[in-house]
Amino acid sequence: MIRSLALLVCAALLTACSIDPVHPWEKGMLAKPEMTFESNRLEAAYSEHIYFSKEAASGGSGVGGGGCGCN
Amino acid sequence: MSASPTPRRLGNAILAAAMTLPCLHNAQADSPPEQGQISYRYLDYRESQPDADRISVKAHALALSAPLNESWSLDASLTTDTVSGASPAWWTKNLNTMHDERNAGDITLTHYLPHDTVGVNASLSRENDYESRSLSLSGSHSSDDKNITWHYGVGGSADHITSMGLDEDKQVINFLLGVTRVVSTKDIIQANLTYSSGHGYYSDPYKLADNRPRNRHQTALLTRWNHHLEELGHTIHLNYRYYRDDWGVQAHTLGAEYVVPLNEGWTLTPSLRLHTQGKADFYVDEVNFPSADTYHSQDQRLSALGALTLGIKLSKQISDLWSGDVKLERYEQRGSWYLGGDGSPDLAAFRATFLQFGLTRKF
Amino acid sequence: MNLQTWQFRFTALGGSCEIRICTERKEDAMAQTEAAISEIDRIEKKFSRYREDSFISRINQGAGQGEWFECDAETCWLLDYADTLYTHSDGLFDITSGVLRRAWNFREARLPNADAIAALLPLIGWRQVEREGARVRLPQSGMEIDLGGFGKEYATDNAANLLSRAGIRHGYVNLGGDIHVMGPQPDGQPWLIGIQNPRQKGEIIATIPLTQGGLATSGDYEKFFEIDDQRYCHVLHPRTGYPVSHWRSISVMAPLTIAAGSYSTIAMLKERQAPAFLEQTGLDFLAIDHTGNMLRPG
Repeated sequence: MIRSLALLVCAALLTACSIDPVHPWEKGMLAKPEMTFESNRLEAAYSEHIYFSKEAASGGSGVGGGGCGCN
Repeated sequence: MSASPTPRRLGNAILAAAMTLPCLHNAQADSPPEQGQISYRYLDYRESQPDADRISVKAHALALSAPLNESWSLDASLTTDTVSGASPAWWTKNLNTMHDERNAGDITLTHYLPHDTVGVNASLSRENDYESRSLSLSGSHSSDDKNITWHYGVGGSADHITSMGLDEDKQVINFLLGVTRVVSTKDIIQANLTYSSGHGYYSDPYKLADNRPRNRHQTALLTRWNHHLEELGHTIHLNYRYYRDDWGVQAHTLGAEYVVPLNEGWTLTPSLRLHTQGKADFYVDEVNFPSADTYHSQDQRLSALGALTLGIKLSKQISDLWSGDVKLERYEQRGSWYLGGDGSPDLAAFRATFLQFGLTRKF
Repeated sequence: MNLQTWQFRFTALGGSCEIRICTERKEDAMAQTEAAISEIDRIEKKFSRYREDSFISRINQGAGQGEWFECDAETCWLLDYADTLYTHSDGLFDITSGVLRRAWNFREARLPNADAIAALLPLIGWRQVEREGARVRLPQSGMEIDLGGFGKEYATDNAANLLSRAGIRHGYVNLGGDIHVMGPQPDGQPWLIGIQNPRQKGEIIATIPLTQGGLATSGDYEKFFEIDDQRYCHVLHPRTGYPVSHWRSISVMAPLTIAAGSYSTIAMLKERQAPAFLEQTGLDFLAIDHTGNMLRPG
């Protein structure tokens, strides 16, 4: 119940809020590599793999990629 | 009229404004990156507990990203890990030595349309006793002004486990739904919901009396926020993930990074990660030899624990085409650090150091 | 790959222009150049104050009448850029100062009446221009906005970008002295761009090697007249209404031609403070002062 509510709030905050749209010519700062969510692919892959192997939780960032017998 | 800006900023302001020239940031179509790139990354991972060293992993990975034409691009990667050292047979006791090699590769083909992208990915991973294959489809759809982008994906994997003479399988199907939103000229946020449903062999054959359910349903909600501090030129990355599954595990993970560009193309990024997880329902912390139809595991990974990672990365834009980085992280996991009750007792504190080195060349 | 160099000369934006690009086949070079010239024409039709039907002219014609004009993304960007230039030039680069050409007619060697200039000064002031989101209007009748201060450089960058995206890796676009180099000559050697001698038309006073990026020059020799050995040029100070005279020409190199042109024009307007201003940018420049002395970065 709380979980569904949290999800709903997230979705609402993310899409329903009307804020001043950011124009294409104002996106200079957002174009910097450190402002995108596309971080270094191999770095993210190593990180996810390590935490997948050492903790019980995983997911949230993508689909695909298989499992492994990592210990 | 405002006072003259300080000299250091004045020199850059007009050029910086010119760099936002609309034709350079063509908002008409999603398009493949202008340049291709090839990256190499090395990982040196060592873990230990107070009374012994555990496993160490050395991994090499190569990734290629290449635009094929104005609307298609290809990404591929190859990884090889060598794992050696000792891993506990139960809790953190009785370390058995092992040595294993894993090779994996994957390939993604992406098509770009005016407001959408669609991609297909196939991957394969092989160890001498574990093979995993997967296929997935993912895509995105952006609003006209590109301020809101929806992401979706569905994937499936099939694993085959042959350790210790077994002949077992596992199939997992997973889904992703997410949204990225540009909130201001300096803020961008993202939320992703993933759900995964798996059937098959989940137990760990190397651990004593390990018997896990033959199903697992997992849900994760990841939220991220990047904020640029204009005056300083620094950027903050924050992320939080909530996880739960039907094995009884609930976890919270909080991560933060602070990107500091320095002179001459150097950048320093310290990072912090906090993780806390509750134990799986069938995790036991006392010796207990169960009957065959009771679920039971003494795997430290499924215990109630908290973990902390501290990291620092130094990167450099070496030239127009080359860039590199070095990242060092120190990880520690302890039962007593579990937030939300008593952590699992009698587990040795587990520590690991990860060192990564990466090099990228654009072409 | 056997690249050949093709050169196309044409007239646009009130001056002689040149596109030089390297392709294997002439048909490809012609097709790309046609596309680039179309883009330059599009920009001229939309933004030239010399064309009565341009969007800018319609805004100027509506000055003082209360009517708002809805600007598209491209026009908004140019107005935002003009605002940045105003802010970072201590108000010297002001796109409302074009009204001064009503007093300064460079076809005749005659100083304007001081009253005529005084009457125009109240119409100048970027901060007077009213903007509300994407809408703009000029509050006083007689006010004008003129994008001529960076219009040609904007067209140069756009044309060069179009050619780069089409795959051109060697060549340059030259619109009346505002240049953008997409890439070096096929053998990797830079293009040698000649800087005009401000006192001898047709003569090169210096050569700048360029492999990529923009070069723009502001000078006192484009439109001028001389009376009693004093030159009066078209670069007019927005607060005095009179031409600046400290520099004969200033050329600046920057990754984008629009930035290079903005820096060179502001430097001309800053007169004695130009060297300090240009040094702060860290960009390469060549400035020739009123005595003929040449200055490069220190």
